[in-house]
Formats: sequence, C-alpha cells, structure tokens
Amino acid sequence: MEEFTYTNIFATKGIEYIVIIAFFATLIPFRMMLKKKKEPALVAEKASGFITASMLRIPQGVFFSKFHTWAHMEINGEATVGLDDLLIHLTGEVRLITYKNPGEQIKKGELLAKIKHNGNSLNVLSPVSGEITSTNSSLHENPGLIKVDPYQKGWIYSLKPSNWKTETNAYYLAEDATSWAIMELERFKDFLAVSATKTEQQPLGVVMQDGGELIEKPLKGMPKEVWDDFQKNFLS
Amino acid sequence: MTSPAYPIQDKQEKQSVWRFIFQELKPRGKWLTPFNIISLPVILVGLGLIVLRFTNGLGAVSNVSQDIPWGLWKGFNVVTGVAFAGGAYVLTFIVYILRVKKYQSIVRVTVLNGFLAYMFYAGALVLDLGKPWNIFNPLIGNSFGASSVLFLVAWHFMLYIVAQFLEFSPAIAEWINARKAHKILSGLTVGAVIFGITLSTLHQSGLGALFLMAKEKIHPLWYSEFIPLLFLVSSVFAGLSMVIFEGSISQKVFFNQITKENRQARNNMVLSLSKICAYTLFAYLFMQIIVLVHGQHLNLLTTPMGYWYLLEIIGFVVLPIFLFVFAYRNSNILLTRIAAIVTILGIILNRLNVSIIAFRWDAATHYVPSWMEIVISLAIIFIQIWIFRWVINRMPVIRKSPSWAKH
Repeated sequence: MEEFTYTNIFATKGIEYIVIIAFFATLIPFRMMLKKKKEPALVAEKASGFITASMLRIPQGVFFSKFHTWAHMEINGEATVGLDDLLIHLTGEVRLITYKNPGEQIKKGELLAKIKHNGNSLNVLSPVSGEITSTNSSLHENPGLIKVDPYQKGWIYSLKPSNWKTETNAYYLAEDATSWAIMELERFKDFLAVSATKTEQQPLGVVMQDGGELIEKPLKGMPKEVWDDFQKNFLS
Repeated sequence: MTSPAYPIQDKQEKQSVWRFIFQELKPRGKWLTPFNIISLPVILVGLGLIVLRFTNGLGAVSNVSQDIPWGLWKGFNVVTGVAFAGGAYVLTFIVYILRVKKYQSIVRVTVLNGFLAYMFYAGALVLDLGKPWNIFNPLIGNSFGASSVLFLVAWHFMLYIVAQFLEFSPAIAEWINARKAHKILSGLTVGAVIFGITLSTLHQSGLGALFLMAKEKIHPLWYSEFIPLLFLVSSVFAGLSMVIFEGSISQKVFFNQITKENRQARNNMVLSLSKICAYTLFAYLFMQIIVLVHGQHLNLLTTPMGYWYLLEIIGFVVLPIFLFVFAYRNSNILLTRIAAIVTILGIILNRLNVSIIAFRWDAATHYVPSWMEIVISLAIIFIQIWIFRWVINRMPVIRKSPSWAKH
C-alpha cells in the first residue's frame, strides 16, 4: 500500500484551531451586519430627533384646514381626508379611533377621529362635509402607515363631498400651505413655552432656549391641561 | 339556509373522477409562448436521443468511457439537481417541525419542486446505467449490494420520493375533491416530513460519500473525507437559493394564483430566506477553509487548479455571502435574486468540479460532454418544468386550498 498516505493531523491542528476561533470571532460582527436597516423615513426622524420646518411633508396639491386635517379630491370626484404631518409629529405614537362608517354623513368641523395617548385625547375635526364612502382598512392593520405616508396610504376616510367649493375656499394650498405650516410650527413653540411655564415642564423649556428646535413628539409626556389647551388653540 | 347545489355538485364530481382527470390532462392557455417555443424542440430532440441511447447503447450519444464513467447526466442532473431539491427538507423542517407558519404558503410548491426533481434527476440515473433494468436490484434483492453506498442512495431516493409524494398528496386530494382521503393524507403529513428530513439529510451526504471511493481520482483541493458534510451543508443554501429563484419566476408566471396577502408576505419570506442562506454560506466557507488547512494543500493554491478552486470559493461562496447580507440589510429583493443565482451557479460549479472537472483532472484526455448529452440534460429539465407548470395550473399549490380543506 505505497500510495496510501497519512495526513499528520497534529501538524495542522494549530491552524485549524485558529480558523475555528476566527469563525466564532467573525460570527459576532457577521450577526450584527445581518440586521435590517429601518425604513429611511423613520431613520431620518430618529437621527434628528427634532421637528423642523424643512422636514415637514407638505404636498402642494392638498387642501389644508385649520384643524390640521387635509382633504384631497380624486379624479372620480371623491375626496380623501386625513391628518396633516405636523399634527402627527407633535403627537407621536398614538391610537387613532374613528367613529363613522361608510354611508354616514359627516359635516365640516364634526368629529373625524380621536387621537388617544396615555389617557389624553384630542378631537380631530373634519375639513369638509359629505357622505362617507369607505374607511381605510389598511390603517387598522398597520396604524404606523399614517406616520410613514400621511397623505396617500394614511388617509382616514374617503367621502363624496357635498359642499366642496365653498368649504375649501379658505383652505391653504400650495405655497400658502407651506408658509402656514411654518407659522403653525412657530406658534406651537410659543404655545409650548407658555404652557411649560404654566405646568413647569423644565426639560422642554431647556431645549427650547438652547437651540429653538422642537424635540420629536413634544406632546407625548405633557399633562392633560396642555392637551386641552392644544385642542383649543390648534384643533378648533 | 340550506343550499342543495353544494352536495349535488359534490356527488357529480365523485362519480366522474376519471373523466375529470382526463379533462384536466388537456392543455390550457396559450401555446406559442417563448418558453414553449424554446423548450418544445429541445424536448422532442431529447426524447429522440433517449430512444437512440436505449436502442444503440450509451456510446451512441454520450462521451463517457471506461476511464471517465461519470458524465453530465450524473454530474449535473443527479448530483447537482438533488442539491437544489434540498429546499424541500429545509422548508418542511422550518414549517412543520419548528412551526414557523410564515413560510406555509411556499411549502407546497417547494415540496412539489423537490418531488419532481427527485423523480426526474434520479430518473436520469437510468440513462447512465449500462443495464438499466438492474436499477431495481437493490430494492428487490436480486443483488442488494448492501456494502455499497449506492445501496444507501438507492433506498433513500426511493423512500424519499414516497415521503415527498405523501407530503404533497393533500393537494392532489383537494384537486379531485376527495375529502375523506384528504383528511387521512393530511394526518400523515408530519410523519412523512420527519421521515423525509431524516432521509434527505442522510442521502445529501450519501451522495458526497459516493466520492469517498474515488480518492485518487479527484484533485486534492476538492477531495476530502469531509465531502459528505460539505454536500449536506451546501444543500441547505443550494435548496433555499433555488426556492428564492424559482419563487421569483413563479411570482411572475403564476401571478394571478397568488393571493394579495401572500404577495406582500412573499418579499418578507425571501428576505428571511436570504438571511438563512447568508448564515449557512458563512459556516460553509469556514468549513471549506478548515478542510483546506487540514488537508495541508495550501501549496496547491498557486497551481492552475488552485486558481480554479479560489474562483469557486471567492466568486461563488464569499461573494454571495456579501450579496445576501447587503440585500437583507437594505431589503433589496432584486439583489437577493442575484445572490441566489450566483449561489446556484456556484453549486453547479462545485458539483461539476467534484464529479467531472477535477475528476481525473490529470488524465490525458478530458471528458467533454457531447451535444447529445447536453440536449438530453436540458430536455429532462424542460420536461420537469412542463409537468411542474401543469400541476400548478390545476392543483391548489400556489393558489388557496378550497374552503373545505381548511383545518
């Protein structure tokens, strides 16, 4: 058996151990590498942590009402309605409760939905009147949709408007909407500064004085009085 | 409210199962699709050549010889095809044993794919046998040959085909509306799955074990006593890459059969599968390195065969690892498909290396398959795809099961 050869296993063992140790050592960074990146929109939000005018999404073809709700008419004459981006940024992780069903009527200024968070709630009012034709079922399955895409996938109701022309007459559109949103953001900062002194919410005050930027979801930790004030000043 | 329509229809269908099957055998849909135009001539020529092979003998169509007895049919159809069928045992393990329900919607199509792969690729073995009628010997005991690895492989193939047929059989029962049979067959599924997983892990490595007898004939960079283990581990990502690749095609071809929610869930599944592929490829890479070190063949890496070996390892193991990781991180479906294709090519390369290219690499004459061998190989694959399509268009494989079959 001349052709029979032995491998000297001891000669190679040292390197083999090193290879195995290298395997386990690289397994850890490899595992860390195998992580999904988050949705880009959410990354941007997390990275900055501040609400600025430039990050607000304000589509130029949507009517914005002073209730911080929007309405948009489709080609078929039906309109979708929903919450605007500023309101979503201010309130943050919330539950949205809707009350209307398809076939029911809704009036402008009537309750569109309720935002609930830790026992506090806000009434969001409808921008237009009409008969509701459908509700957004995917919003129920995936409530985060309203944050990711508030103007398209995040619509709340679709309705047949009854008085579209006169009701949307005074609403903000295109560059008006942009400048109005910037104004509202500034107004909210003032509002917060006032309520902070009222309720002694120190941390927020510090942030405001430092750089004048709003942190993300400023209403989140606020007491009930501030939520009520916000309802009165911004959503009515 | 009672509806008389339902039971009556039920009875009618029961009476005419055979007529129903006969009806279903007729072709459906458009005939002149690009795929048919390419595949049909290949199949017809291939069938003609197969007849020629059985009437005039192996030498008439194939370039294999006494020196190089293993050609394209074994190296490609059998050894490589079986690796790609590995997706079935991996997925059934995940769904039925680990109970990860999210892959449920692709289990049936994968099992069908595996079943057909075994039928046809193991069937291709018959073509290669000098005395094909002897293939039954290990089963009927004319000459068991129990000391041979082939004995093991033959029994495993046979039993595994039966197990996969059992796993798939509820779909057939749903198709012919056999409710009682469906109940019984569904109950058998988990048993068949456990049986099937045992068998397939054993014979994936068993196929590798076949090469242990050819130590002197295989180039040392590809030969090692760990071939069985390497074959087993690589069958995991080979099978899953095939699931990703095949899924991306059937998502287009059978678009209408996939329910809306499954369509959305599919992308998620593909991403999770690419994660598993990345892990197993990563482990496989280190196993290859250890085998290389253990065999003390580092000096061979600078020879021409060494470069070829490095191409296989770097181009088709390391590269797909990065592709899968990158695709997973960025949720990039297109990239997972590219990674899957690179992996599939890598597996083909690896199996052909072991069985053909590095096999008798030092011989004076090298084996090059004849055009007839290639046509027959392709014909076998095309026939399999035709049957696959036929089944999917008729049975609830991708589409939803009928409501009565819900558990």
